[in-house]
Amino acid sequence: MRTSAIIPAFRPTFRCLSRRTTPLLSPARPIHPRSSQTALFSTTAPLLKRSKKGEQKKDIRITAIQYHLRHPLNPRPLRLSRLRALRHWTIHRAWQLHKAASRRAHELELERQYNSMRDACEALRLIGDDGMPASAGTPGGTMGKELGRLYRVAMEKKGVWAGVPIEYARMQVDYPSREGWNHGWTR
Amino acid sequence: MCHLRAASPTPSFEEHADIQAGRETASDMFYLSATPQEAQVQQSASPAPSSPPPHISIRALRSEEKRLGKKGVPIVGSRRRRAALKTSSQIPFEQLPYQCFQEARKILQADREEKIHQIEVQRARIARLEAQDAAVSGGELYKKNRLDSMRRHLEELKILADINDPLIKKRFEDGLGNMNRPIYRYLADRKWRQYKRLILDQRITQHNIVPDVLPNMDPVADVDVAFSQRIVQPGDVVESRRTEKPPTLRVQVFDKGERLVTVAVIDSDVPNVEKDAFDFRCHFLACNVPLSPVTPSMPLGTMPKENVVLPWQPPFAQKGAPWQRMSVFILQQREGKIVDVAAVKENTERHGFVLRSFVDRHLLKPVGVGLFRSKWDEWTEGVMKRADIEGADIEFKRKKIEPLPYKKKDGARYR
Repeated sequence: MRTSAIIPAFRPTFRCLSRRTTPLLSPARPIHPRSSQTALFSTTAPLLKRSKKGEQKKDIRITAIQYHLRHPLNPRPLRLSRLRALRHWTIHRAWQLHKAASRRAHELELERQYNSMRDACEALRLIGDDGMPASAGTPGGTMGKELGRLYRVAMEKKGVWAGVPIEYARMQVDYPSREGWNHGWTR
Repeated sequence: MCHLRAASPTPSFEEHADIQAGRETASDMFYLSATPQEAQVQQSASPAPSSPPPHISIRALRSEEKRLGKKGVPIVGSRRRRAALKTSSQIPFEQLPYQCFQEARKILQADREEKIHQIEVQRARIARLEAQDAAVSGGELYKKNRLDSMRRHLEELKILADINDPLIKKRFEDGLGNMNRPIYRYLADRKWRQYKRLILDQRITQHNIVPDVLPNMDPVADVDVAFSQRIVQPGDVVESRRTEKPPTLRVQVFDKGERLVTVAVIDSDVPNVEKDAFDFRCHFLACNVPLSPVTPSMPLGTMPKENVVLPWQPPFAQKGAPWQRMSVFILQQREGKIVDVAAVKENTERHGFVLRSFVDRHLLKPVGVGLFRSKWDEWTEGVMKRADIEGADIEFKRKKIEPLPYKKKDGARYR
């Protein structure tokens, strides 16, 4: 049971429900036999003596089940004093600001990398026959066959997947794929 | 209390302590007020209300509170809380020795300094563009649009610089915010829009104030209508004995500067038997009323004579008539435009006053609206008598519809 894992203090209650040879109650704390559980395997409610106040004693199993059913999984909401809440708010705002600043720095870094790659590709594309940057103003036919050859080679997509099966090209994640390992796969 | 000092380059602990104590430092005002004139307006100092030691009786506490209230010192928090604060250590909030809190404050201060730098840069840019020839900056219209957008950005920066300050948040929640500062206006506006404006919008729509009285309306000012110091929720039915005296309006505007407004109270459900329809009636009309964010109070009873066109007439609904909607309109006049009260007085009548035409004629812009209802009750007769209004003895009744003559059907059909 999931809830019982949350509250280990209640484990003994559950353990005593299992059929064990050891006595249910320790001799140090004897309880009147009528007010305790008499038959471990019975599912009917035992007839228990009424207490003095008039309320019927409940089976400890019922108590345990009710506890686990009613006990909320969520912790109770935070209740802070005013200044404590204000300090919490201050820290929260600072954390949000810090996160926003680091996100922005990351974005800028990515942008810078992208721009420099694009500039490098542009420079490659403009390399002429003689290995020098070709421009329209340069006389002497630098706009030949060799213009941007390195760029074309760099943009080649042929054989990108050679050696790596395409079905393994999935996002690297911490959990296994939905289909598991395909043992029957052959090239 | 005027508290001006030389601006220090970095806001120190001392400066923050000043803010907490209810004063604002010169450097704060320099950066975050729109005009130097605004900077001159300082909040009065509010020393922490001194609560006597705990062995003093409740009566003494009460008299102490009364004394402070008469002095105009706001009392913040319950007696219990004030006593607890009194006995606790007197470390100012921003010096509380919590490491994470102090680190967070450092981050926030650094951010604020960056924002203030941006404000300075933006101000310099605006000044440069203003000085530039329009032909160089791409035409008059382009220059104007550009300046507008730059000024809007400047206002945003002013708010961003202060929005993360815990003390500003605290002071606003205590109701001690200085409405001359943009941050407090921004916070008040946000709070108003979160709940009160939604309710108001709903009531205006439910009661068809729009489009019955005015064709459209976008409230931008918070209007509270209070009869004898009790605020009326928008759309409430108010007893006629409460509405006999003119109400006090609390009009909170959220944009800076002083402006002139016209106040009109309109009854839009006056029954007209001849027409078998309903008419309008004006219960109050005053023009050229000055209004600014720091002076929200507007008592209609004690308004200067030269502003009032139609003095207060108590709202009344005759017996048998349905409840009548009374709407209070705050109409902003154009910049520097003054309504000629004497001329308006001559050609304005209470009965049949059409607000649409008035708004169109004087180029008014509706900014705020309040709403309540009146109904015949046991006090209406006395109210009408005291106000010299005729018609208290008239009772409206539904017109009886004569039934059609009964025609006996042929009984054989139903056999």
